[in-house]
Amino acid sequence: MDEIASLLEPQIPALRRYAWALLRDREAADDLVQDTLERAIGRWGQRRQEGDLRAWLFTIQRNLFLNGLRQRKARGTHVGEEALADVQAPGTSPESHAGLRDVLAGLDALPEEQRSLLLLVGVEDLSYEQAAKVLGIPLGTVMSRLSRARARLREFMETGRGSALRRVK
Amino acid sequence: MSELHLTDEVLMAFADGELDEPVAAAVAGAMAQNPTVARKIVEFQQSRRLTRSVFASNLAPDVPSELRAAVAAQIEAYEAVSRAGERQEPVQTQSIRSEWRSRAYPMKMALAASVAAVAVAAGYFIGQQSQPEAGRLAQLEDPLVRQELGRLGSGSEVELPFGRLRVISTYRLADQSLCREFRLHSGSSATDAVACRADEWDVTFAAAAPVSDAEYTPSSGGDLVDSYLGNLGAGPPLAGEAEAEALAQSAR
Repeated sequence: MDEIASLLEPQIPALRRYAWALLRDREAADDLVQDTLERAIGRWGQRRQEGDLRAWLFTIQRNLFLNGLRQRKARGTHVGEEALADVQAPGTSPESHAGLRDVLAGLDALPEEQRSLLLLVGVEDLSYEQAAKVLGIPLGTVMSRLSRARARLREFMETGRGSALRRVK
Repeated sequence: MSELHLTDEVLMAFADGELDEPVAAAVAGAMAQNPTVARKIVEFQQSRRLTRSVFASNLAPDVPSELRAAVAAQIEAYEAVSRAGERQEPVQTQSIRSEWRSRAYPMKMALAASVAAVAVAAGYFIGQQSQPEAGRLAQLEDPLVRQELGRLGSGSEVELPFGRLRVISTYRLADQSLCREFRLHSGSSATDAVACRADEWDVTFAAAAPVSDAEYTPSSGGDLVDSYLGNLGAGPPLAGEAEAEALAQSAR
């Protein structure tokens, strides 16, 4: 128990951050993290011993998210819109709140794969190789999509910021 | 060496600390000399910092106790089961484990391939500003050069109307394609290049550098070429009969 807990616990903040960035809903994010950890524990013995725990956990979490996304789509609910309006990170100053909103709006404008790449590499410090593993794509694809995603986010922040703020008012 | 033309991907990889030496050193050199390159790299670093700071400062609340408890309960349940069924490793286990494992190995290959792709996409040029790189690349793929690449043995030289061609070595890559490292001396510059045989000899990598008065300067692009070939998974250089045979085969 101690071993598994001591390995998993340090990973939880990153998993929650990624889940929240994907879902924009604290409760749903924590549910996703819990599902992720439960699945990871259930398959603990199947984990490659020398394997990369972080990348493995992110892979599980992203797959669960994508599965859930398909189910939500099938049910006909659309998550993105309401979630964006509900940016409520706790304890934020208005200023950083605006920054958060801009970045999130920029991220939302990207396909999920590019969004995940930006989050995993840029926020969670995964290497390109780990990110490739999580997304199940070749390393060269990681590089081209990541550079495209960053260019688009930058463009969005430069040109889209004004319109994003106006929409909020 | 005054300029390095690289794709955004290479610059981004540099900004993220993902490049190996000596390519990283070459980019660092270019960064020091070329403000445009430097600015792009800084932009990549800034955009990364921006994303990170937004999430780091806004989203680090404590882990809720319910989540913690649920995880602890799950771990306990798992351990209880695995203690009880120590011997019965489930069959399903194997398949998942091997799935995960099987992904690990192609990753190495993917790494090599991507570095190759980067170099190809970049047209990878170090050189002087005076000569437009398109012109230089055209020279490297001149029909005369291609013809010589198909028959000249390693270590041989030939004078062409636009310069002196020296074939340095021949390699077989992991995917069995045939590649040759060569050097084209023209005027005041020398270009180290790699061409691989598809339907034709296509240049996949080139690094140009000004030449000093010395007849044969150690190639400054050589380290890059080595690193490039290493990343491609090139085998040992082919020589003598093996080389001649490989060339004859590829011409068919």
